[in-house]
Amino acid sequence: MNTPQSRRHFLRTSSALIALPALESLGFRRFASAAAPVQRPKRLLFLGFGWGVTQEQWYPSLDQPGAGYTLPESLTPLARHRKDFSIVQGLWNRHSANGHYGSTFWLTGANEFGEAGQSFHNSISVDQVAADHLGGDTRFDSLVLDCGAAANPSGHGIGLSLSWDSRGKPMAGPKNPVEAFHRLFARDDTPLELQKALLAQRRSVLDNALENARALQRTLGKNDNDKLDEYFQSIRDIETRLGREEKWIGRPKPAPPLEEPAPGLVGYEEIRLMYDLMAAALQTDSTRVITYRQPVSTLLTSLGVRIDSHTMSHYHGKGPEYLEASLKRDWAQSELLSGLLDKLKSVREPDGSSLLDHTTVAYGSNIRTAHSLDNCPTLLAGHGAGLKMGENIVLPKDTPLCNAWLTLLHGAGVPLEKFGDSTGTLSKLRA
Amino acid sequence: MLPRALFSTRTLSSCGTAAGLFLSFLAAAPSQAAQKSSPSEPAGPRAVPVSAKLRPLLEEHCQKCHGAEKQKGKFRVDDLPISIADVQTAERWQKILNAMNAGEMPPDDEPQPDPHQKTDFLEELSLTMVSARKALGDQKGVIALRRLNRREYRNTLRDLLGVEMDVSELPADSVPNGFDTAGARLFLTSNQIETYEALSEDALLESFRKHSQPFVSKKHRSEPESEHPVFLKRNAEAIKDIENGLAWNAAVDAAAEAPENAELVAGLRKIAATPDALRYHWRKIPGAPSPVQFGFKQDAEINPALIYRCINDQFFRLYDAHYLTLPKLDSGAYLAIPNGNGIFGGTSFRSEIRLSIPPDFPPGEYIVRARVGAAPTAPAERRFLEFTLKSGFGAPAPALSVHHITGSLEEPQVIEIPYTVTRSNMERGHRHLIFRERGTSVSQLYQTLFHKERARNGFGPEPALWIDWLEIERQPPAFAGAASGIRALDLPLEEKTVSVDPERLRAGLGRFAKLAYRGADPGPEEADRLLAIYRSRIATGDKHPKALATALSSVLSSPQFLYRSEPDAGEQHRLLTGRELAVRLAYFLWGGPPDEILTTHGQTGALLKPEVLSRETTRLLEDPRSQNFTKPFLTQWLSLDRLDLFQFSLKLHPRFDDVAKAAARQEVFETFGLLLQENRPLTDLLKADYAAVNGLLANYYEIPGVSGDTFRPVPIPPDSPRGGLLGMAAIMAMGSNGERTNPVERGAWVLRKLLNEPPPPAPANVPEIARLAGKLLTARERLQAHQEEPQCASCHRKIDPIGFGLENFDAVGLWRVSDTYQALDGNGKPDPKARKTWTIDPSAQLHKGPAFSNFHQLRDLIAQRRQPFARGFAVALTEYALGRTCGFSDEPLLQHLTQTAAKDGYAVRSFLHALFQSREFLSK
Repeated sequence: MNTPQSRRHFLRTSSALIALPALESLGFRRFASAAAPVQRPKRLLFLGFGWGVTQEQWYPSLDQPGAGYTLPESLTPLARHRKDFSIVQGLWNRHSANGHYGSTFWLTGANEFGEAGQSFHNSISVDQVAADHLGGDTRFDSLVLDCGAAANPSGHGIGLSLSWDSRGKPMAGPKNPVEAFHRLFARDDTPLELQKALLAQRRSVLDNALENARALQRTLGKNDNDKLDEYFQSIRDIETRLGREEKWIGRPKPAPPLEEPAPGLVGYEEIRLMYDLMAAALQTDSTRVITYRQPVSTLLTSLGVRIDSHTMSHYHGKGPEYLEASLKRDWAQSELLSGLLDKLKSVREPDGSSLLDHTTVAYGSNIRTAHSLDNCPTLLAGHGAGLKMGENIVLPKDTPLCNAWLTLLHGAGVPLEKFGDSTGTLSKLRA
Repeated sequence: MLPRALFSTRTLSSCGTAAGLFLSFLAAAPSQAAQKSSPSEPAGPRAVPVSAKLRPLLEEHCQKCHGAEKQKGKFRVDDLPISIADVQTAERWQKILNAMNAGEMPPDDEPQPDPHQKTDFLEELSLTMVSARKALGDQKGVIALRRLNRREYRNTLRDLLGVEMDVSELPADSVPNGFDTAGARLFLTSNQIETYEALSEDALLESFRKHSQPFVSKKHRSEPESEHPVFLKRNAEAIKDIENGLAWNAAVDAAAEAPENAELVAGLRKIAATPDALRYHWRKIPGAPSPVQFGFKQDAEINPALIYRCINDQFFRLYDAHYLTLPKLDSGAYLAIPNGNGIFGGTSFRSEIRLSIPPDFPPGEYIVRARVGAAPTAPAERRFLEFTLKSGFGAPAPALSVHHITGSLEEPQVIEIPYTVTRSNMERGHRHLIFRERGTSVSQLYQTLFHKERARNGFGPEPALWIDWLEIERQPPAFAGAASGIRALDLPLEEKTVSVDPERLRAGLGRFAKLAYRGADPGPEEADRLLAIYRSRIATGDKHPKALATALSSVLSSPQFLYRSEPDAGEQHRLLTGRELAVRLAYFLWGGPPDEILTTHGQTGALLKPEVLSRETTRLLEDPRSQNFTKPFLTQWLSLDRLDLFQFSLKLHPRFDDVAKAAARQEVFETFGLLLQENRPLTDLLKADYAAVNGLLANYYEIPGVSGDTFRPVPIPPDSPRGGLLGMAAIMAMGSNGERTNPVERGAWVLRKLLNEPPPPAPANVPEIARLAGKLLTARERLQAHQEEPQCASCHRKIDPIGFGLENFDAVGLWRVSDTYQALDGNGKPDPKARKTWTIDPSAQLHKGPAFSNFHQLRDLIAQRRQPFARGFAVALTEYALGRTCGFSDEPLLQHLTQTAAKDGYAVRSFLHALFQSREFLSK
């Protein structure tokens, strides 16, 4: 490797070397001859849907663990994929206490009040841990997708996406299909030399900002510098990205396997397009880790439901129209997920296997229903992490959700000892 | 008041006097004060005591399994610390609260606590946990470095560059139940920095363009009657079409009735029973003429529906005929019923009268004028004119403003609307300004009116508004010359600029950076770096303005610009410098940078004198820019964004359209603005004998005798429900779901915002009560279920009674005496068997408080609690101003604010002045 990667990156990968099958962690594929049978890269998708589910119609019966369970009403659209997903029951984030935060701690397991002297605390999300290990060889180490202004009324809670960086700060990314498409596939027709010159200019602009930040840093006390650190981190992130861009200079972005989305689509169509774009991102190997904080409020509007999404999530004991709305939501979400799985199955890898064979989709929320946070809805799909598929997996009540994330990480080849508040891995999840 | 954390009351009494002394001392000699008194900060968070009242239940019901002998689940309660001083202890108590709320403990097969005991236990423990979380999260007066939030960033760009930017790409920075000024939550991401770079470069280029063109006056007037000949021609054609169509019908019918065709026609009638259907077969009927002979086009031969459609539109010709009888058609035009939406076929006249911005009108400030009068027949509710920019496709654009038309045909009025033309108006299809009658863009509303009026007069609603002319005129720039940043730059900005002296460039870049950094000197190195960026852009082929914009966009995405830094070298709580104070004051009261006067007072240090500070505060508050304080502050303090959370059903609530909603929201701003401008008592928000309304809102509330668009206080009778926040449509509408009222939301809002007794956050994992699903109950009966479970009752016994007392306001804040519940069937259609109507019973009793029998009595009870309301306001104001949450260390300040204000009859400005003279506001 003669492209100078950042030192930080090198340190990260070298620590991973110890436990990982070495060939894979170094991006063996790029050096190996095409004929050598190599394992296809592993991919992870995380889809968060805020306000929980209609619990009575979404969860399989606890009395039917294993493969023989009756598919619940709300999962009917997924029937054709039955062998390719499992429902996992009994998980929760024990520190989560806010019934309106479906996504803030979903992938982190952190304790909001965990740090004295701070009114809010969070920690790195599982996707970013994975991105550190799986993201080295792709144009983007991860892709963080969001639904913008619709997130607030969709029960996601504080945050800018599902993803939180290594210091527990929220991460942002494309907020609609058009932005996502541009991030992935916008072509740059600038001549190579000019591209390099522009990149250098870009660096000098960043350098100025960095110098400015350093000058400021010298005048500030500790508290302020903790905050200013976000700025330094952001500049470092841009530099890392520029480093990547430099590595990829002269290698044009892949041809998009789909058309540029029309602007202004919201709700059902918006989610469907985002799913298509996620499949396209994996298909073109632009990234291997994606999170998507999907809209609920606008999904309801697009389904013709006029009840606001928070009230909908409290369908219990209200009029039948609320339950109706909640079920419509479940059904639409299952339909959309089913479409995504279709797509992932239809894309062929060079060795003839399907994309879904190398991908794991984690689909859920921190909220079960209303304000309930235990047995939070968790659906795992795909065969990319060696997890057991086709089953209703019933775990002991109040199993840490982070145990599931840790199991997922191990399955994807990320050899961590502990993640969040995990207490171990879950053998019942493994195939 | 509730028994809140025991501890807060205790702290208050001990610190109150000392703080008062300290503050008056500080006002006299600020700089000395900072040196002499360094407030001692105890190490670690303060302990929050847990009430002994919780013990008996724990001992009786928990200790057996979770005590010294047995520790089921490795959890014991007997050794729990009696005060919460660290996160670990908080977690243990939280675990008890969670298990009890979830109904898991005590287990079902164990004896259960008495429901009342359990309710009190849960209430006490949840409130203790709120206090403990607050104490543990106390930032002890440290204000995290504040980034410009989204609106401050926009305001600052406007001030520096004189351009209005669309900043919706940036995160909104708003958080639920908090303020967008709180430094700790103003995060920054790499995405955002790139957005800043792109946005500021756009802003700079637009500003350069604007400033490099000399001001040229522009004016364009449009006379809507000039379109009449086109419409008259269209109308004449339509009338002719009807005549022709009827004639063709008659000719075909005559042929069909001819005796020699009888047999044939009888056969045809078997497949085409009606005369209209039969005429489709005209070719087969000997003697029937082609429609072409009657002036129709060829396609009507195949599809006579084209002819029928003209005939069916006959009533529109009646409408048009009526239109043509109206006076003053030679000098103006009326706004007609909407046409062209495919439902009504069409009148020949326009429902939207258009004023197109000519293509050669550059971006800048304009005035749009309309000379309008209302027809004598126009009813009061139809005298409102909407103004907006026509949207390209899809749904009609929401109104930008709405105007009460008080002029007549004889004496029309001239409306003036300030309008900013931006670069986006330069695109095709974004140049058409339109005027329309209120409500005519919402087909649902309009159809109802149309059918009603047509049933009455045969043709539909009489045109109500007449427009003489429309006009758009460019305004000279408000300031002599350029925006502040451009003046500081003092460089040529033209596209054709070839070379600028490097020293001049360097100096200009440096001056701009210094202004952008709010007075902090960037130093020669930064000027050099900026110059290098400029040069490298020129070297890669950029023109001068573009290269300059790139260099300056680096300034506008630098931390010294993005963060409002207040340097400190480890010294705790030092006093601000004059310059820093000027910045803090301006961003608080204007949401943007200080102007020249304030900057000068800051630089000279004069601002540190209490009398100058007080005078400047007053000046800032009286400047129109202070709405950049009132609007965001009120929106967040009162959680007004809930108004946008759902759509209001126009089917159920036709009067609450978008413009009524906007006016209702504006009422909140205007009322508070009035209190601020006239220094009226804050407590007017609890109850007042006036309401601040304009013509539109007065019409909504049915308050007679108010006209025009300006909001002003209008006296109201004592029996009116209006006056004060509780009587405002915006506040009551927030407590609904757009269709039905939500008494819980309303009760909780009153507890949070008015009584300063916020209920604890909704607990997780409480089993939902599903027992009443699908039952036909009154709202009140449904909520009674809350009282059955201690987990619910612990909060709802306080929330629900208040909600019941507000039930006379419907979902859109209109007064009602009865309510109806209509259940929907499986297809979403109203089920006629599942309908219930009841008279509203607003009587209830406040938890551990007095009973009331109606809204007015409830309002009086709430209005008596002036002190908690003032305290809640003081907390909100302080948090908004200081950019951090109030902690226990702020008790003396809050006490001081409320006491000072109380002495002044709770006059609104007394809160602000007391805050501005406080150590917390004046120091870092």
